[in-house]
Amino acid sequence: MNQGDGDKQTGAANTAAPLLVLKQLDKRFGATHALKAVDLTFEAGEIHAIVGENGAGKSTLIKLLTGVYPRSSGEVDWEGRPVALATPHEAIDLGINAVHQEVLLCRHLSVAANLFLGDEKVRLGLLQHRGMVREAQKILDEIGFHLPAGALLSALTIGQQQLVAAARATIRGTRFLIFDEPTAYLTRREVGQLFALIRRLKAKGVTIIYISHRLEEVFQLADRVSILRDGQLVSTKRVSETNEQALITGMINRAIDQAHYKEAVPFGDEILRTEKLSGKGFHDISIRVRTGEVIGLYGLVGAGRSEFVQSLFGRFPQTGGQIFWKGQLAHIRKEQDAISRGIVLVPESRRDQGLCLNLGVGLNINLPIYKRLTKGIVIDPFAEATAADRQIRDVRIKTASRDALVSSLSGGNQQKIVVAKWLNHGAKLFIFDEPTTGVDVGTKAEMYKLFAKLLKAGAGIILISSYLPEVFDLSDTLHVFRRGRLVATHDSSQVSEKVLHETILTEALGV
Amino acid sequence: MSVETSETVAEQLAATKKRALLSTLFGFTLFVILALLWVVLAFSTPNFLTYGNISNLLRQGAMTAILAVGETFVIITAGIDLSVGAIAGFTTVIVAWLLTNGYPIWESVLITLGFGLVIGVFHAFGITKLGIPPFIMTLATLTALRGIGLLITNGATISITNTEFTGFSRGDFLGVPNLFWMVLVVVVPGYIFLHHSRFGRYLFAIGSNMEASRLSGVSTVRMIYVAYTLSALCAAFVGVLLAARLGIGIATQAGGWELEAIASSVIGGASLFGAIGSVHGPLLGSFILTTIKNGANLLNVNSFWQQVITGGLIIVIVYFDGLRRKRQ
Repeated sequence: MNQGDGDKQTGAANTAAPLLVLKQLDKRFGATHALKAVDLTFEAGEIHAIVGENGAGKSTLIKLLTGVYPRSSGEVDWEGRPVALATPHEAIDLGINAVHQEVLLCRHLSVAANLFLGDEKVRLGLLQHRGMVREAQKILDEIGFHLPAGALLSALTIGQQQLVAAARATIRGTRFLIFDEPTAYLTRREVGQLFALIRRLKAKGVTIIYISHRLEEVFQLADRVSILRDGQLVSTKRVSETNEQALITGMINRAIDQAHYKEAVPFGDEILRTEKLSGKGFHDISIRVRTGEVIGLYGLVGAGRSEFVQSLFGRFPQTGGQIFWKGQLAHIRKEQDAISRGIVLVPESRRDQGLCLNLGVGLNINLPIYKRLTKGIVIDPFAEATAADRQIRDVRIKTASRDALVSSLSGGNQQKIVVAKWLNHGAKLFIFDEPTTGVDVGTKAEMYKLFAKLLKAGAGIILISSYLPEVFDLSDTLHVFRRGRLVATHDSSQVSEKVLHETILTEALGV
Repeated sequence: MSVETSETVAEQLAATKKRALLSTLFGFTLFVILALLWVVLAFSTPNFLTYGNISNLLRQGAMTAILAVGETFVIITAGIDLSVGAIAGFTTVIVAWLLTNGYPIWESVLITLGFGLVIGVFHAFGITKLGIPPFIMTLATLTALRGIGLLITNGATISITNTEFTGFSRGDFLGVPNLFWMVLVVVVPGYIFLHHSRFGRYLFAIGSNMEASRLSGVSTVRMIYVAYTLSALCAAFVGVLLAARLGIGIATQAGGWELEAIASSVIGGASLFGAIGSVHGPLLGSFILTTIKNGANLLNVNSFWQQVITGGLIIVIVYFDGLRRKRQ
């Protein structure tokens, strides 16, 4: 969409009556004031982006609008008429729908069955399987998603599942659709398909709320953008009247001079070398990591980067090739083999792989070092408390105490815990798999500073990121993965950024 | 901003303190329920507060308590062990057979516990290596062990003639029944293990998130072995005590005790979803259940009603526990 186009459409939206108006919308959870007297107007047929750090109140807002939580006070007007939005059913009846960050569909059913779930085609009391698949395929083709309607949902990638969720939301007479971080797991091509769908919906007059941490998407897609901070509305502006820097400033109320903080640290000795390492999902990967160096792995989701590092960490077996640790041939067959050498992994999904959510902050931080905290047969309670408190202080985890449950913390603070557990342990090689996904801007900046600190302390880093500007800026050497193979390597310092971004993307896409 | 931050932290702190308090209160609540039951029964029946009855109650409750503590280790890992009653029944046969064939008491007991160990290892093997869900794995051994036990004796009962062995269960020490002392033999190390050793922390961690624990360097497979072995070991120990108490060995004993163990554990605050549980919880839970049975007998309540009351009580206690968690 070009700028002129966008202006025309926002102009059109301007004349329409507001579809949804929030007046002094307020939400408290016990002692927590999650949303503070928010006034917001959504015009019919606009794309309205909402940005903010984690814990700014975006999720709460969605849940109030979709009837998941009741509001504490304030008013919501739908087409000028006050509505209660007390139940999800009421929201759906009005035409309010949401596509959530985590896919809430049935993995064991087909794409078609998921699309028609709760609204199945029936003849004489029997399901019309083939008819549904045919119709689903028609719908998918029509909205431009290249997905097989007959396939099981579990056979699709997370990104593709998200597209199914989006498609499902669009075919139920939706008038107001909320996208919560829809592109986090999408490939570039899928993002394109999704954006095309969103623009089609807009053209049909559907009002869209678009929530994303990727600010450039906001400028590509939205008409207006609202900033939330600590439960308060900071501002609502036309995208043409603002820029990325202003949004970031508004979100955190402090300017971050450099988005991707990086210090030049002199390289030392080689710590890790792989030679033609192969395993499930990756083949013939040869890389080298020195102390003080960040090795970036870029590629699309599913390119084999996570499989490669998890295998390096001993989680999955290698089927070929060799690993050399500090020049010595190393056999890493289980996680302990890696950890005892000083290789640690901060995994991709903090919810599934990183944290014991319903246990305390302290236990999570100390999990890798309990052996060290044990005296005789019992844990030294003083050492346990000191170790946890030190990391809570050092990486600035905002928590009431080390006993607070991890699930009560915001995403950014949770991510800090996943990292903190290895800082007490200490390591020579840190592998970060998508460390900044779904993390707020402030935490991101702290994470980058932490990288610099680790490098200066004599460690090496392997960084996986699907966000090219990040991995490009932070890496000293950047490897591009495509379909399980290492297809290109770049020395980040030597080539001009603008040319390279396009080159790298082309390599990753394989077009 | 910093002011706001410190405010939220203060609010979180208050919430955490409140939770800690509620958790203590819950442990306290169980204790109060137990005490209340005792007081009510003491006043409403002439026989409850007699030395004979209390000793009997402690003896009966002891076995459920040991089973429940073992079961709780497994439940904390988000698993389940349905075989504990069957193991207890099966091991009465083993220990009775060994004793009647002239093995000395200590040897018989150790060999019997060894059987328990092997059964637990087999469970963990099936779960970790064969990928069989805990429910199915232990359901299978529940059936199989009763069968094997009956095959050994050809369906007959072995009477234990060793009076030294059977005398132990009737004896007491400092006025407290020996069987209750056996609870302490299990509970004290159990408490240290679960709440003060790193392996206890690992049990909670794998119950909360197996993959995260594994990626944090915890030997998850080894901890599964530990949990199921401890549960089976406790069950075999109960088998020994049961054989001593009744003086016979037959595999049909302790029928349905696995459900009492699970109920005690759940009443004691353990979550079947894992990562929540304690050693003192099932201890209190099992004595609450035993007291209800004992009291119902004394009050001449139809034994069928006892079952209904027990069921109702489980629902009530677990419902209130759920409410407590939701408030967090």
